[in-house]
Amino acid sequence: MNGSAFSGGGLNPARAVYLVARREFMTRVRGKVFVVGTLIAVALLGLYAVLQITVFDNLNTTTTFHVGFTAQAQPLAAPAKAAGPILGVEVMVTQASDQAAAESQVRSGTLDALVTGAPSTPQVVVKSQLDPTLSSLLTGVVRQEALDAELSRAGLNPAAVQAQANRASFRLDVLQPLKPNAVEQPIVGAILAFLLYLFLSVYGAVIAQGVVAEKASRVVEVLLSTLRPGQLLLGKVLGIGLAGLVQFGIIVGCGLAFTLPTHVLALPGAAIGSVLGGVVWFVLGFVLYALMLATSAALVSRVEEVSAATIPISMVMVVAWLLAYVVFIPQIDAAQTGTAVPPGVENLGTVASLIPLFSPVLMPIRIAAGDAPLWQGAMAIVLTLLSIAAVAWLAARVYANSVLRFGARIKLSRALRQAH
Amino acid sequence: MPDRLLEVDHLAKRYGNVVALQEMSLEVGVGELFGFVGPNGAGKTTTMRIILGVLAADSGGIRWAGEPISFADRRRIGYMPEERGLYPSMGVTEQLVYLGELHGMRGREARAAATEWLERLGLTERGGEQLQKLSHGNQQRVQLAAALIHSPAALVLDEPFAGLDPVAVDVMSGVLRERASTGISVLFSSHQLELVESLCDRVGIVRAGRMIACGTVDELRRSAGDRVWLDAPAAPPGWADRLPGTTLVRTDGSRVLLELVPGCDEQALLRAALQTGPVREFRRDMPALSELFRQVMTEEAAA
Repeated sequence: MNGSAFSGGGLNPARAVYLVARREFMTRVRGKVFVVGTLIAVALLGLYAVLQITVFDNLNTTTTFHVGFTAQAQPLAAPAKAAGPILGVEVMVTQASDQAAAESQVRSGTLDALVTGAPSTPQVVVKSQLDPTLSSLLTGVVRQEALDAELSRAGLNPAAVQAQANRASFRLDVLQPLKPNAVEQPIVGAILAFLLYLFLSVYGAVIAQGVVAEKASRVVEVLLSTLRPGQLLLGKVLGIGLAGLVQFGIIVGCGLAFTLPTHVLALPGAAIGSVLGGVVWFVLGFVLYALMLATSAALVSRVEEVSAATIPISMVMVVAWLLAYVVFIPQIDAAQTGTAVPPGVENLGTVASLIPLFSPVLMPIRIAAGDAPLWQGAMAIVLTLLSIAAVAWLAARVYANSVLRFGARIKLSRALRQAH
Repeated sequence: MPDRLLEVDHLAKRYGNVVALQEMSLEVGVGELFGFVGPNGAGKTTTMRIILGVLAADSGGIRWAGEPISFADRRRIGYMPEERGLYPSMGVTEQLVYLGELHGMRGREARAAATEWLERLGLTERGGEQLQKLSHGNQQRVQLAAALIHSPAALVLDEPFAGLDPVAVDVMSGVLRERASTGISVLFSSHQLELVESLCDRVGIVRAGRMIACGTVDELRRSAGDRVWLDAPAAPPGWADRLPGTTLVRTDGSRVLLELVPGCDEQALLRAALQTGPVREFRRDMPALSELFRQVMTEEAAA
């Protein structure tokens, strides 16, 4: 009947969605938002890790004292070295065979102090002043020496007495034990929640912009001559969502790679579970918000109108993030001080985290903190899935009814009512 | 007319209180070039959008090879919308391959077809560039390639010649002729009436959402009535006003354009003219499509 080379029937709905998703994914991962965003995030994480190593390690480094002992004072050297760790310092002892040379070393600063004279009547030589820590350390050593001498004179073996003294201890009763990793877990949760919020905002905006860009460039007219609106919508959400997930994965992966070896944040084993929970909630949250954002965006015709059209949904996201703050800060406080989380906050967190629009941001925090019972997590997932189904139905309808209407913003009620 | 491939059957469409289409009907045969003309807002774009399924009609329907058109049938149509619709920042070849795949082609098939069409349209070197880097004419060629990529059985093109330079017009009409000769049905709209006249097998004239004239240009001329140009310079002034069986349409110097009422004997008219003296011209009027168009528009407006 005609010269057509092939039937054109080789496009089932799954392949249609796949093709749209693949185009969106490839376009995004080659795009500026993705490449620059990922590089900046990874660079910031790297910088943070480097700062942690250099600055914080310097602050925490144990002080080292170099102390010289003359031959006569030598018996004090070993106890002085041994006493160092108790006071949180390190004592490097050197044998000063030549007192004059040692004194010039003190003068030049190579030695912090020089101990001379008999152990019972020692003398300490310093340049201008004796460090208070070193002073108490040496005082302790000298007093011990005196004590040992007294014990020997009284016919006792100082070592035996010391051993006896060392055996004395007390039994510890902890009234309110700290949870292991009690501080790290809420922090991990907070970081996850922040990343989720960030990605919902960034990639939600990408979806909304993409919908309007297709409408503004009228590509949508060509696309809808071969695709159903639902296929186009689903493909966009999946493709852009996957691009977001890959970026999320790269950043979280780099974060873990940087922090684990440096022990900036002692990651508990539970963190793996938190990250997995984060991924699940990223997917659910993204699908839910993306559908709503795409639908609102379809109501307008120009890219400049997108942010105004999506404000109500952005507001919900901000509220979710504020709730996250309200919930997780008391948790960290409580963990640090070992007190209980105020019941009001705990209830607010529990209830809010079960509300579908808030779950994607709040649940990951609660999972990370380990205070979400399994049934609550499962219930939040079920509720969110139900909401996604409802939103998807509405979104497909509104999208189909508005994506080919150009000009003034379309009223939501109108887009819902009209059958195409 | 050859076998009907695409039939538009009594479409009606309203936007609120505005009637966009009423009783819109047309047929395009296999291998036929159908030109769709009419003033802006007459309903051409709406009709095309309904054919492609991007818009739903209030009533009436579209038939494909005699059956109500299906979603799969629509994939066998190549569509060029009025407001060109491609991704501005996507590569030319990439974009064509994507659209080919969306119409059911496999990746390799689509790539081969994209390469072939870019070559035929003289765009081989532009394949890797972003669409927005191309000139208007070249973008339009890409748009044509996008409509042709999947070897459609029918083409529906909304103003494909708008804004093209003469060379691009020749390329575009050459491709349309060649496609039609391979059996593809082509429906396109245009305001360039000379072009439509030279290119199309049949023409449909629309006005206010209704098809007011449809057929080959000859058929349109016939339905416009028999008209005769007559030049009898020796005839007295006002002579032509009173000739039986005719109405004077226009006077041009000594020439008159007469419309013959049905059944009027033109030979008798010639004899009457010869009695006034010499007759320099006596011929049947062959109005151009543009003339017919103006005529139909004014008649309809008066009706």
